[in-house]
Amino acid sequence: MTSLTLKRLSVIALPLAALASFTTAAQAQDWTPTRSIEFVAPANPGGGWDTLVRTVSRVLQQEGLADQNFAAINVPGGGGAVAWAQIARDSGNPHKLFATSPPIILVPLAGASRYDHTDFTPIARLITDYSIILVSADSEYQTINDLFDALGENPRLSVGGGSAPGSMDHISVAGLAAAAGLDASDVNYIPFSGGGDAMTNLMGGHIEAVVTGAGEAVGQLGEGSQIRALGVSAPERIGGGLADVPTFQEQGIDYTFDIWRGVMGAPDMPEEAVAYYQDLFVELLETDGWQDARDQLGWIDAYQDSEEFGAFLDQQQEQFSEVLSELGLLRQ
Amino acid sequence: MDALNNLMYGFGIALEPINIAYVFGGVFAGTIIGMLPGLGPISALALMIPITFAMEPSSGLILMAGVYYGAIFGGSTSSILLNAPGVAGTVATSFDGYPMAKQGLAGKALAIAAYSSFVGGTISIVFLMLVAPLLSKVAVSFGPAEYFALMVLGLTAVVSLSDKSLVKGLIAAVVGIIISIVGIDLQTGTERFTFGSTQLLDGIDFLVVALGIFALAEVFYMLLRGGGGKEPTRNAIGSLKLTRGEVKQIAGPISRSSVLGFFTGVLPGAGATIGSFLGYSMEKRIAKDGDTFGKGNIKGVAAPEAANNAACTGSFVPLLTLGVPGSGTTAVLLGALLVMGVTPGPMMLEQRPDVFWGVIASMYIGNIFLLVLNLPLIPLIAKILDLPRPLLLSLILIFCMIGVYGMSFSVFDLLLLLGFGLIGLGMRLFGFPAAPLILALILGNIMEESMRRALQISGGDWMIFLDKPISLGLLIVALLSLTLPLFKKRIKKIV
Repeated sequence: MTSLTLKRLSVIALPLAALASFTTAAQAQDWTPTRSIEFVAPANPGGGWDTLVRTVSRVLQQEGLADQNFAAINVPGGGGAVAWAQIARDSGNPHKLFATSPPIILVPLAGASRYDHTDFTPIARLITDYSIILVSADSEYQTINDLFDALGENPRLSVGGGSAPGSMDHISVAGLAAAAGLDASDVNYIPFSGGGDAMTNLMGGHIEAVVTGAGEAVGQLGEGSQIRALGVSAPERIGGGLADVPTFQEQGIDYTFDIWRGVMGAPDMPEEAVAYYQDLFVELLETDGWQDARDQLGWIDAYQDSEEFGAFLDQQQEQFSEVLSELGLLRQ
Repeated sequence: MDALNNLMYGFGIALEPINIAYVFGGVFAGTIIGMLPGLGPISALALMIPITFAMEPSSGLILMAGVYYGAIFGGSTSSILLNAPGVAGTVATSFDGYPMAKQGLAGKALAIAAYSSFVGGTISIVFLMLVAPLLSKVAVSFGPAEYFALMVLGLTAVVSLSDKSLVKGLIAAVVGIIISIVGIDLQTGTERFTFGSTQLLDGIDFLVVALGIFALAEVFYMLLRGGGGKEPTRNAIGSLKLTRGEVKQIAGPISRSSVLGFFTGVLPGAGATIGSFLGYSMEKRIAKDGDTFGKGNIKGVAAPEAANNAACTGSFVPLLTLGVPGSGTTAVLLGALLVMGVTPGPMMLEQRPDVFWGVIASMYIGNIFLLVLNLPLIPLIAKILDLPRPLLLSLILIFCMIGVYGMSFSVFDLLLLLGFGLIGLGMRLFGFPAAPLILALILGNIMEESMRRALQISGGDWMIFLDKPISLGLLIVALLSLTLPLFKKRIKKIV
């Protein structure tokens, strides 16, 4: 617990540290990687973390930004827990990074990992996606409020999602229900093995609604589609294929939810190395190669530097614990 | 005639020299990947995303699809020669393929596998071309209740897969289900049978069990019998030629299994592995010489090989027409397509007909390439059986270990492999069949999850399984397949 409190303190001291940021920038030139950087995706090939790791590595190489090669490594297992346990043992190693997203907070809260975000060094938040609520095209529900009114009357109505109870999709819809005045546990959440699986079941009429990532759903919406979106969890409308989908806030529910993705490093990574990577990712986000890939994958830039990201993670942990304890799923 | 015009248009794209090169490169790489246990199409395709990134979307998908069906095509080789399935979809091929190889008929088994794969692949492309848009309705009509019923039907095959003792077969199946339970439960997030180990949180990979129980157990068994180099030297490969009678024998199984495999593939989540098991057990049941299945019956090679290739093509239906991936491999393909700027789904046929029809046409070409590529290679590859016994056994051992380690980079999985090798040896020594265990392991997970999901949707009402017509129908077929043999015996006795 001591390390946790220390990190919290450093977060409070953040404004003071801003004064010293000039020195940090100077120090950034002091350190460059001396060998290949291990960039770990804590999952099998093909998922969100893997896509982020491979896209970042590829664009860095194409644009010739990095001094050393970024080697993508898959360490699957335990929803990330296996990789985290490995990386946690590699304290101080400046050549080890990993892709991260809300599970770094949710999995430990559910009691399935000994390590949580406070055990690692935040480097940068890169992108975000939002969650979206879908119904079938011929559904009677026209707005998110229609759906929640029906849910309030009949709590058996099933809402499918692409991940286990207590993970991202469930938290996002349960939090939304709570914000809409229902009980978080009123949502009959049915976990499927992925967002695609849940959407297939929606098209077949086996469930009433689906909650999933907006990026995953965008290809399914539009003309001729069998499904329809009721709302997104973004603070303002997302452009592109989702320009017509209203936010929850527009519909009178004060609620946003970010499915962010970022990069963390081994525990106690030296400050100079953190500064180096931070600058590298800032440069990366400005390249054309990144912007093309980002748009095609439906990502939205949401950069935060190491300190902001660390504070953000603490705040997310609080928010998630609240919803999880309402659901009776908090096990920490 | 519309389909014909579209196909011609597709061939126009697929026959561009660069695309022919991609088809060839894809199926060639796929064959090699399939032959090596452990290195599956999923990781191969994920590694290829950066390569295909800069390509024309149609060329990229042509290349990647080639790797996918090429791997299923090539996966039978190590199943037949070494009893070590190269990919999950070819486990059932080893049931009769390996006994054939032991009888000196390796060449014939490989040839049958190649022909069946070719026919299964080609028949299913015709289906894909003609009915893909209509089939998207079939794919979504399967909800949790229907999947549960389908898995129950699949599990009835345990009866036909436990050759001598039904009790031992059922025990093996229960062990298989227990193994499938290991890991985090998707419905509640609870850990089951993990004994506090983080390594077991994601469950036990199917291939670790299959390689252990089939290939490694075989190695141990041979060692126990002291077969060190005394094996009589003979032409271990045998002839590749099929007699007219043999062709007649396998024609039926191939065509039935192709259709069955294709429809299994269309269902998201079912895929090549389940398709091949269903094809195998269906043929075993309807064959007059069903009791010789598992001892080197050529129909036992033809059926699963036709089915798994057909299922592989079938899995393109939900991917291309709905934009939802039905398997891990198609999930990677979907990701690759998105990166290339193509969004698969209902609108793809109109927006990107070049990708859709180009890929379908390229599959015809790819299947011909695979046949032409594989047939001449058979005598060369089968030479591996001529190796001295000690060398061959060490080779299988290394093969399995590289395969498992290459999948997860985990030493723990190597220990698991060893453990399952020993379990497999024990099962052989005490006469427990391995096939029911593997089948239950594959089906157990989906069966359990679907059942609980269905009950959660229905609020705990079991009638959901009988209210839905598809589910009811499948359950009735399952019941019939269990009870009909009993009636048959009765009738025989009375007569």
